[in-house]
Amino acid sequence: MKFSYNWIRELVDGLDAGPRELARLITMKTAECEGVEEAGAHLDAVSEARLLEVEPIANSHNRKVLLDTARYGRRTVVCGATNARPGLRSVYVPAGTGLGGRRIGTAVIDGVESDGMLASGAELGIDRDQAGIIELDGPFDPRPDFLIDVDNKSLTHRPDLWGHLGMAREVAAIFGRPLRDPADMSLLEDGPSPVSVDIADRSLCPRYNALVFENVTVRPSPVWLRWRLEALGLNPINNIVDVTNYIMAEMAQPMHAFDADKLQGNTIFVRPARPGEHAAALNGENYALGEANLVIADAAGPIAVAGVIGGSASAIQPASRRIVLESATFQAASVRRTSSQLRLRTDASIRFEKSQDPANTVRALARAIDLLHQVSPGIRVAGGPAGDRAAPPSLPPIELPLSWLEQKLGKSLGSGQVRDILEALGFRVSPASAGVLAVTVPSWRATKDITGKHDLVEEIGRIVGYDAIEPKAPVIAVAPPPSQPRRELLRSLRSMAAAQGFTEIYNYSFVNEEMIARFGFDPSAHLRVLNPIAAGQTLLRTSLLPGLFRNLELNSRNYSSFRIFEIGREIHPLAPGELPDEIPHLSAAVVSRDDTADGLFELKRLAECLAPGCTIEPAEARSFEHPRRAAFVISRGEAIGRLFELHPSLGLDGRAAMLDVDLSRWPEATARNVKYQPLRRYPTSAFDLSVIVGSRTPSMTIQNLLASFTGPHLVQIEYLRQFVVAEGSLSLSFRITVGAPDRTLQSEEIPAIRSRVIEGMRGLGYELRV
Amino acid sequence: MERRVSTVISDNISRLRTEALERIAAAPSMEAVDAVRVEALGRKGALAQFSKDFGKLTPEERAEAGKALNAAKQEIEEAIERRRLGFESVALAARLEAEWVDLTLPAPGTRPGSLHPVTQIQQEIEDLFLSLGFTVLDGPEVETEYHNFDALNIPPDHPARDMQDTFWLDGGLLLRTHTSPVQVRGMEQFRPPLRMIAPGRVFRNEEVDASHEHTFYQLEGMMIDRDVSVAHLLYFMKILLTSVFRREVTVRLRPGYFPFVEPGFELDIHCLICGGAGCPVCKQSGWVELLPCGLVHPNVLRLSGIDPEQWGGFAFGLGLTRLAMMRYGIDDIRLLQSGDLRFLKQF
Repeated sequence: MKFSYNWIRELVDGLDAGPRELARLITMKTAECEGVEEAGAHLDAVSEARLLEVEPIANSHNRKVLLDTARYGRRTVVCGATNARPGLRSVYVPAGTGLGGRRIGTAVIDGVESDGMLASGAELGIDRDQAGIIELDGPFDPRPDFLIDVDNKSLTHRPDLWGHLGMAREVAAIFGRPLRDPADMSLLEDGPSPVSVDIADRSLCPRYNALVFENVTVRPSPVWLRWRLEALGLNPINNIVDVTNYIMAEMAQPMHAFDADKLQGNTIFVRPARPGEHAAALNGENYALGEANLVIADAAGPIAVAGVIGGSASAIQPASRRIVLESATFQAASVRRTSSQLRLRTDASIRFEKSQDPANTVRALARAIDLLHQVSPGIRVAGGPAGDRAAPPSLPPIELPLSWLEQKLGKSLGSGQVRDILEALGFRVSPASAGVLAVTVPSWRATKDITGKHDLVEEIGRIVGYDAIEPKAPVIAVAPPPSQPRRELLRSLRSMAAAQGFTEIYNYSFVNEEMIARFGFDPSAHLRVLNPIAAGQTLLRTSLLPGLFRNLELNSRNYSSFRIFEIGREIHPLAPGELPDEIPHLSAAVVSRDDTADGLFELKRLAECLAPGCTIEPAEARSFEHPRRAAFVISRGEAIGRLFELHPSLGLDGRAAMLDVDLSRWPEATARNVKYQPLRRYPTSAFDLSVIVGSRTPSMTIQNLLASFTGPHLVQIEYLRQFVVAEGSLSLSFRITVGAPDRTLQSEEIPAIRSRVIEGMRGLGYELRV
Repeated sequence: MERRVSTVISDNISRLRTEALERIAAAPSMEAVDAVRVEALGRKGALAQFSKDFGKLTPEERAEAGKALNAAKQEIEEAIERRRLGFESVALAARLEAEWVDLTLPAPGTRPGSLHPVTQIQQEIEDLFLSLGFTVLDGPEVETEYHNFDALNIPPDHPARDMQDTFWLDGGLLLRTHTSPVQVRGMEQFRPPLRMIAPGRVFRNEEVDASHEHTFYQLEGMMIDRDVSVAHLLYFMKILLTSVFRREVTVRLRPGYFPFVEPGFELDIHCLICGGAGCPVCKQSGWVELLPCGLVHPNVLRLSGIDPEQWGGFAFGLGLTRLAMMRYGIDDIRLLQSGDLRFLKQF
């Protein structure tokens, strides 16, 4: 929301801080200012001017205009506007003035020297009229201004700050200056209103007041009013609509003007829309409404969507002579739901969804009487405000113990200082008991914003200034935090993987159907994002592999070999509405252009480093895995992951070995229960054996057989080497170490064990080289 | 007059000693030295021959000659040993000289990889808070509306829900828009007093560009105790920032609206790029918004079953992604999730 510096100065007596200093203090004490911009700097240079002569120029649509300017004397300009005519009062922009990003100069146009220019309302930034040069029927007195742009998010809880008066109240409190109230309640009359109000549900519409005006003249607003609205980005329309917008910008009270003669009957109904009802709105749209939408209706049907937008049929027209001015508050949640359902956020709905102050409606009508008298001479108020004016139920005073307040802020304060701050912000303060203040919340803060003493901590703290609070260490019991073994595990896994040469990457939790199609995953097994912005965000990943594959494709362009890993969560849907299973996984890949299986063994080593004692067992390959290079990672008898090479059909350059492990099944290193074994006291002996096997016999199978034939004296069995004996047959060599814990083996025992192993293997049909 | 036998023997020993020592000194190799040793000291060597003549001597003379003989032997042996050592050290020097290695060659095996910059910053901050007695908690990335909004004092239809563009999922679930739901889960799991942090991945439904991401990282912190004040919050924030930036940073605390804290603050630091003078990074303000924080709203405590009259607390949320970008001068947020090793290998 933008705030006019000049407007705030009008409301705060004696404010002398400059716009940037003001913005800084508002940021420090109230709400975040995102910037200050100067508006209408050119207005200091321009001058009112009367057109004296308008002469055609041969062979041109332009005309030569002689002006009598108030500040610069007589000037001649070339002007193309069709409304240029002698006697017209308009605005002259002298050469050298910056206007709309360009600098006005002196130029010869169609053979005539043009010294400066005549400008349209749009060029002057006064309104959006580009049809011709501006036509004045009153003084031209707008002044340059500064606009302070406040972040809307920081106003979410402050319905009162959606108008200049609310911000001026803050500024007055910050500077200790008096605030000027623009609403003069004495302008209101007491008589009955020509219209009556019928509210179906008070909870949806706490207040609806309306005031009828007669003898209305609809015409453009005076320049000062147009300038003020246009500077804030509110489009000037006509004097009646402009007054409603002005009051909205000033008092945060959205208003709407109906043409009274277009309404059917004398009753304004505030009710839920009936099924099938439509509202033809001011923006040209026709909205289909339902019972969830509150409407303003006459006897014939909806004339406005409550708190969101007015209807086109009852809109103010140049010929309107009687108007009904609506000033109401609506339930914030209801306005918000309707506004999101219609996808229509308006200046009114943005304010109403912050819970506007019901006590403000009649004040805004009083302000309207004042302004309409200024902009529509001869206008008459017909009776008093329609609708009930009962005060909304007020909150009981909040008890604020000063010691509690000081404890929360961590700073001592005087009770006089606390009282002054609260009163400057509009609270009423009286002593409740010793050291306790009774604080009454003003109506504009009581709708949602302030509910208890904790809210008052902020009111005091921000005006005192948080920079006045000294940091202080708390006095607390010393205790170790609860241990988090799973987190410690993730940390050690990360460090180990990095030490093994792997670079950590982060991928998105999102995948799309194309990414998972390569891996043959079923889209319906994924949680779906209902409102994705981009095509890559439709599903939540149930595997880290599709994301990792993208990394492989990308990095293959820059590296011939590389290693990456990610620790992230797979998200598997459970029953609808139930939180999904989030399973932490470690996935790693080695890419190489070499035609070897080295990458797989690097990953095997990584797995062994991460989960000591794990083994690898051949597995049936999945569709994206190399059919002969896929295995389970087994730890403590349980498959905790897979080791495989990517199937070449996925189209990657080179070979990609991958490891994918479920960390929820990962053994916790810290939980490993190590029992010390005494060092061996008696010597051991070793002998080597080579077994001839078919070329696809896993060495682990042979090793296990050798171990079992060796029997109880086996100390260790170690793979040594292999070589090809003949086509399809391989020699695998092992070293078997034997010994006994309590004695030295006898010299004849060792050959006996060796023979037993050889015979055992031969018994199974294996040939041995001995 | 006939010379005495003893004098003759003594002269011969002396001559032989001199001769042997000269030959040892002149020997070109250890083999030549060994040859002298055999000739002089061997069982059939020259010195051994002399002892045969000892029979002709009187016992006194024999003793004298024996002494001379032993002295000569010892002298020759010492000379041989010196030469042997000399030859060995020359040989060693020659071997070592030949063993020159090019140590500028790369070491075999793979180079170490690296941790993601966000991981590195996260771990640093985890360590700091662990040392201050905070526990590190984890929460789900897919959350319920209750934990992400309602329990944080953001009821349905509250305009604060607009502050965080949300990814909605099947079944009324959502991707958490902040790490704050872990506050709620922490309070549900542990009773006060409680000190916790919760780092993690969060999601906002935003268009991605150089400074906006739909996926980023936060670190939530919370302390609940009997007496917790704004001054205590400031104390921890100061420790945090000094540790993160490894120097004193100028901060300012100003009001900020977050429904789950009251009072709520934005903590700004002096822009590290321009030092507060104003630059494009800080939009000319000299300040960078770093850390929303505040005292925990009593409704939040109440919703998690904690009596706000008995307990109070502070909470803060730190943007880890923002911090990583500031520390390393990263100007495009998309790089962090690009998986591009040209970027990641730099950390």
